[in-house]
Amino acid sequence: MTKLRDARHEFYGGHPEKAAEILNELKEIPKRDRLLFLMEKGVVLHRLGLYKESINTLLQASLLMAEQEVISISQQAGSLVTTEWITEYKGEYSERLWIHTYLMMDYLLVNKFEDALVEAKQALKLLGEHPDPLESDYFTRALIALCFDILDEHNGAYIEYKKLAELLDDEELLAKDLHSLARKLGLDDDAEEFRKVMMKKPDRLPSGGQPGEAVFFLELGKAPVKIPGNIVLPPSIRFSFPRYDRSSDNGVSVKVSTDAGIAPPITIATDVGEVARASLKARAAKIMAKETARVAAKEALARSVEESSGELAGAVTRIFLFITEEPDTRSWHTLPKSLVLVRLPLAPGEHTIDLEVSGGGIGVESILIPEIYIKPGTRVFRAIRR
Amino acid sequence: MADTMMKCFVYFMMALIVASMAGCTVTTRTVAPDEEVIYDEGYHFSDKKKIVNALVSSLLSKPPLGFSTDRPVVIVYGVANRTSEHISTSGITDDIRKELLASGRVRFVNKTQRDNIAEEVDYQQGGRVNTTTRVKLAQQVGAKYMLTGTLRSIEKKQPRQVRIKKRTLMYYSLNLELTDLETSLIEWADSTEIIREAAKPFIGW
Repeated sequence: MTKLRDARHEFYGGHPEKAAEILNELKEIPKRDRLLFLMEKGVVLHRLGLYKESINTLLQASLLMAEQEVISISQQAGSLVTTEWITEYKGEYSERLWIHTYLMMDYLLVNKFEDALVEAKQALKLLGEHPDPLESDYFTRALIALCFDILDEHNGAYIEYKKLAELLDDEELLAKDLHSLARKLGLDDDAEEFRKVMMKKPDRLPSGGQPGEAVFFLELGKAPVKIPGNIVLPPSIRFSFPRYDRSSDNGVSVKVSTDAGIAPPITIATDVGEVARASLKARAAKIMAKETARVAAKEALARSVEESSGELAGAVTRIFLFITEEPDTRSWHTLPKSLVLVRLPLAPGEHTIDLEVSGGGIGVESILIPEIYIKPGTRVFRAIRR
Repeated sequence: MADTMMKCFVYFMMALIVASMAGCTVTTRTVAPDEEVIYDEGYHFSDKKKIVNALVSSLLSKPPLGFSTDRPVVIVYGVANRTSEHISTSGITDDIRKELLASGRVRFVNKTQRDNIAEEVDYQQGGRVNTTTRVKLAQQVGAKYMLTGTLRSIEKKQPRQVRIKKRTLMYYSLNLELTDLETSLIEWADSTEIIREAAKPFIGW
């Protein structure tokens, strides 16, 4: 997939429109790389602000994921004596989750809140199926809670904010949301508890009518990609497995300054690499079991050739099988290193906002958001990729 | 003997080729609107017909619409989609409106065309339309009732265990409400449910 590599190169070279062009021109995509292609294209279109097109692409990816639940015997059998690359790429648990995360963002950006909630429910299913590896994807969990909250699904929002507060081990961050929802649900005791937590750090609420909220989706840096790992047992046995490149992480911090009175923003971040590594680790036992079976099958094949056609033919077969033993390092390259949700309460009216972001793989950068108009009691969404 | 075996082999291969060619052929067929075609546990077009029929019949047989003689005016606000699928619920409300109109017992305010109606009225009042044919202002009819609803779903998957098929149970419910706009009292409410189980194989070729 040279074209896919070219598109990724253009994307990170600051030419997402060229990346989209390359991907649009691709007509015949091998079935085994179709999910990868749709995931990359979805993010490229999202980066270009073509949210509806991104939705169409990622919905295809979501449908494909459902079709891929059936295990293909022919692919599995073939990969046992060749390589994992010939099988259909199904995505790590984290990548499958982030298809729904990006769909949620896209739908919120085009104000299709009911559809965003549909994706939130799909994401919840995956979080329920793979709770441990996906546990630290706080961004997606916060987005799910937001989708429930927007549509006044108070019970769903309350449960998700509460889970998130527990996972983050921070009782203050979401106390205001939890207090408001507990009151709406008639959970007076809980509301009182959250009120006490809120009082520890009183808000400076925006003045001038019912406040609204600006919600920013910050996608920062470049996600780690898979690299090959090898264990060679002389003379010719090779175990190969994929692993994620480890990159240094110093967290993300976001400072906000605006032209109006503000409350401090709520910032919730996911380290994409950490969740991706946890997802791959969760599959490690399966990968190694299959790798062991492949090594055994290849050794049996080489011995059989050796017995029937002599030592030289056996040696040539062994070399060939050794070379073809390549770990499957396919992964979603256009993902960011960090996904950060910033919620900023604002008074109704026009605002100019400056976000000073540090960490997340981009160093320190000031991001000036052009004029945002806030209507009373409403939310405005913006996606920013750096 | 060898000849017979050879013939059998040739026939078998021919049958295989014919079968595989038939598998590659595109086939189409027209499906009747009332025919039930269901591929999986998800929401299908035949479900819409079923739930619309059940709720319209309840709406027309129970008070207030069941006993009204003055063809009350109703406004339809959408059916909220709270399922885990992208379902266009406007199709449900369109069908409910169509069935109720066909009964001749109610009238509807056209909410979806409000902006276009306002634009057309403004145009007619703009001085270009003959005064004898232009519509009169302030003649629109106010709705007495508001029809709203929610479509919900609950999905249950078979727990992980050794099996060759995965079973999924899907529950859909459509709840409709008729609210009196003057008193804000809910005058009628009903719901209809569909429960479907599907089994999908884990292994394929």
